Amino acid sequence: MLSLLIIGLPVAAVLVTLGLGWRPSTPWVGVVADAIVLTIGFAAALHDVGHRAHSTVGGNLRIDSLSAFMVIVIGIVSLLASWGSVRYLRHEVESQHCTSRHAVQYAALMQSFVATMLLAVLAANIGILWVAVEATTITTTFLVGHRRTRGALEASWKYIVLCSLGIALAFLGTVLVYLAAVHAGGHSIHALDWTWLTTHAHALNPAIMRLAIGLLVLGYGTKVGLVPMHSWLPDAHSQSPAPVSALMSGVLLSVAFYALLRFKVIAVLCLGETYPRVLFVTLAIMSLALSSLLLLSQRDLKRALAYSSTEHMGLLALGAAAGGPLAISGVLLHILGHGLAKGVLFLSSGEIALADGTSDVNEAGGLLARRPALGGAVAVGLAALLGFPPFSLFLSELTMMRGEVANHMAWAVGLSLVALAIAFAGIATIGRRLLLAGPRGQATGLRTPWSAMAPLVLGLSLCALIGTLTWPLVPLLHAAAKLVTS
Amino acid sequence: MNGAEVSLASVAAVMAQVVLCVFGAPLLVGLMRTVRCRLEGRVGPPVVQTWRDVRKLLQKQRTQPERSSIFFTSAPVVLVATTLAIIVFIPMITTRTIFSGGSDLFAIVFLLLAGSMSLALAALDTGTAFGGMGSSRLMAIIALAEPALLVAILAVAAPLHSSSLSVIVVGSLHHSVWIATPQRLLALGAFVIVVLAESGRLPVDNPATHLELTMIHEALMLEYSGPDLAFVVLGESMRFTVLLALLSNLFFPWGISTSLRAPSLVVAVIALVAKVTLLAVAIAAGEVAVAKLRLFRVPELLAGAFVLSVLAVVSSLVIS
Amino acid sequence: MTDHGVIASLLALTSGVVLLGAALALWRRVARGIVNALRVQGLALGATAALLGLQLHNPLLIVTAALLVTVKGYVIPKLFARLIHLDPSSSETEPVINVPASLVASVFLTMVAFVATRPIVDSARSFPVSLVPFGFAAVLIGCFVLVARRKAVSQMVGLLLVDNGIGLVALLLTTGVPMLIELGGTLDVLLVVVVLRVLVTRMHAELGVLDLDALQELHD
Repeated sequence: MLSLLIIGLPVAAVLVTLGLGWRPSTPWVGVVADAIVLTIGFAAALHDVGHRAHSTVGGNLRIDSLSAFMVIVIGIVSLLASWGSVRYLRHEVESQHCTSRHAVQYAALMQSFVATMLLAVLAANIGILWVAVEATTITTTFLVGHRRTRGALEASWKYIVLCSLGIALAFLGTVLVYLAAVHAGGHSIHALDWTWLTTHAHALNPAIMRLAIGLLVLGYGTKVGLVPMHSWLPDAHSQSPAPVSALMSGVLLSVAFYALLRFKVIAVLCLGETYPRVLFVTLAIMSLALSSLLLLSQRDLKRALAYSSTEHMGLLALGAAAGGPLAISGVLLHILGHGLAKGVLFLSSGEIALADGTSDVNEAGGLLARRPALGGAVAVGLAALLGFPPFSLFLSELTMMRGEVANHMAWAVGLSLVALAIAFAGIATIGRRLLLAGPRGQATGLRTPWSAMAPLVLGLSLCALIGTLTWPLVPLLHAAAKLVTS
Repeated sequence: MNGAEVSLASVAAVMAQVVLCVFGAPLLVGLMRTVRCRLEGRVGPPVVQTWRDVRKLLQKQRTQPERSSIFFTSAPVVLVATTLAIIVFIPMITTRTIFSGGSDLFAIVFLLLAGSMSLALAALDTGTAFGGMGSSRLMAIIALAEPALLVAILAVAAPLHSSSLSVIVVGSLHHSVWIATPQRLLALGAFVIVVLAESGRLPVDNPATHLELTMIHEALMLEYSGPDLAFVVLGESMRFTVLLALLSNLFFPWGISTSLRAPSLVVAVIALVAKVTLLAVAIAAGEVAVAKLRLFRVPELLAGAFVLSVLAVVSSLVIS
Repeated sequence: MTDHGVIASLLALTSGVVLLGAALALWRRVARGIVNALRVQGLALGATAALLGLQLHNPLLIVTAALLVTVKGYVIPKLFARLIHLDPSSSETEPVINVPASLVASVFLTMVAFVATRPIVDSARSFPVSLVPFGFAAVLIGCFVLVARRKAVSQMVGLLLVDNGIGLVALLLTTGVPMLIELGGTLDVLLVVVVLRVLVTRMHAELGVLDLDALQELHD
């Protein structure tokens, strides 16, 4: 019942939004729904950490520790994004950039997007997971193209074509898994169930599974934005409205990564450690190399943040390749921390765009002097993203590296450090241009309204809080990591 | 079905193949011209016109371009000779010819290629602009058409594990309860395109035009005259007939004789004439409806034929 | 071949046509021709489902066949016809990779598909499963169309080629994944096409043509 309730909330928010039509209060519906989702996620996590999974709807939905953790991540980031959307939508409607009909459409699509992501993490079988991830593509396409500019059109075309292709390949992989499961004695929908697949993994035909896992990693990897299937990502992230970018970068990528984590367990049980590790490591190395190098030459804040997402996904893939409880709990914590930091940064890029009409770091330079509050939030956010303590990304990167060492992948630590150093250089340059340099002689010390700052402050303080007191999360992380380690 | 069965009947069968082809080929080309003319509402020349042309040309004097070499003078003879060799080798009315052991598909394709090559070399040898142009175009076509032909026959041959045409024909006669298997359909498509390209028919080349921008085959024989031209015309028409006979026997093997008994041989001759005539009429009728492809699109068509033939081979591997 | 009976050879034929449709889409330049290739493929897919239904006495598959024929043989080509009407210049005049080269590439891809599916074919050894390479090859050729073609219509066709190939694989391997997933999949494809259709309309309003080369602002 719990999982149905969790998915039902954003769906209800969609209906209410559509029913209300455009009013100043309409965007708040989503905020409320997401806040409740977050609370329920917490409650579920605290209530039965690592005990037993709850299934509903004929066993098609299930909430276990990992799902509960992902619900929390989705809940937090979507709360921030919906909160940010309130200002974005008001501004768009007031400045007549979009009609009130499109504003309602946006709010409804945003909540359907959240609902599909929740469905993906709560799905008990890989079929429903596939349908849900495909549905995220469909709902987000219009969000990406919401600004209706030429660039937005190009980005949404690229996005839907590439992601549909990726997800189609994932479907092929799913079919092959089903074939292997049927050969191993499964029947109908239960042969696609996560737990059935994990318990029967050793009986699955390795030759078929090898092909299937390859296709699944390629397919969901497209959605994660791993190189070489990443080319939609910088375009989509830079052209979408800021709250949408926050949601996509903060959680959509991680939701797809969650699928990879689950498939990896099955792959390890069926094919041994080497094959999935090689797959993950290859994608990780390519992602880290390309994204960190491209970060050096970015001038657009949102594009830079997008490449930084690819880089972080590469780090996650490296951690997942190592496997083992330590590395995996690091990966999960990193998903949360990255979601928060990236969410905050994308939202602030939206504020900058609202104020200055651009996200080019040179044109919007001198932010710290011009808008101290916003500039401060960006500075702190960038520091969090770069993995400075006390933010949780420091802790999670450290944990992943310890896990990698523990699993005989010490070279991966060196690799991550090199990539992090290059990315540091890139992001530091962008930060310096955006915050310090820039056009002189403009008004300084402008105030940023509280309504804009509140979600930013909330996100950053949560990130710092998790980084210092990991208390409520530690048992949850351990239980969740246990689910995806063999 | 081993190759060394020399008997009176087998010699007679081979002679019949040769006579049929040599005398029938110009008639076939004439027939196609007549069909086209009738469909276009014209009367056109009589069917035997090609024969009359050949006879007249044989009586004329031969001219030769200055500084042309033996390549030029030998090409017509090589063309006719290779085509005659193919006629002797391949199963046309019976699968038990004297040389049925030698009817290897690689050998046949090589002989076809040798004929085309000699013409192309001869055209280069003349040193004229049109000759060089024609021969380069012919090479471009052959480079794609010959592999497609080879692979298309291979697709039909693969399930029978033999490259002997006799075995292939007998095999398709016995095994093809269901003619429309994907590999046969694909191979047929490829084969038809190749036949059209090899023999310079529409949509690859228009046999009825001397327009310099588009012609291929006409450009090759521009410098020939008298008996040489007669041989070239005869050789080209024989090639076309042989290809049609090969097509009909590979894909519609009905009627071909697997023995050397007289009644079945007679039936086979009638069946062969009927099949080849039908095919020729169908091609002529088709030519009325299509326009010539632009020259740079021809490689696309032939690459398509190549793809079809490869798909045919893959299909035969998948399905068998 | 002969001992599998007529249905088996017809199945081989329809699966072959699915692959042929993909090759045709690569071969033709004219938008209408490409869409016709897609229609042929959709119909062949429907026929495959129907034949499998007959062979296995499974009425659900007959229903699937009817669905496939209506959606892929009629609705989607119709949609494309309107798009072509919108921009008559949507024929592929200058593909990124020229036609002979892409045809040769498709030959290569077919062989890759043949090799890659070896384990599947070997594992099952039942008849319809041995036809799986056709579906895989169609998928790969569809991916190639996506890379090699720059017109909006061609890219949509490429996506649908991939989808049809996967549909064929799914049908042959498992005689249909569980109905729930199957329905979800079909619905998703339709939605993707509708979304793309909306984007194309926007593209036409914005640019006047349906050419992705006109959209090249975003790059690094």
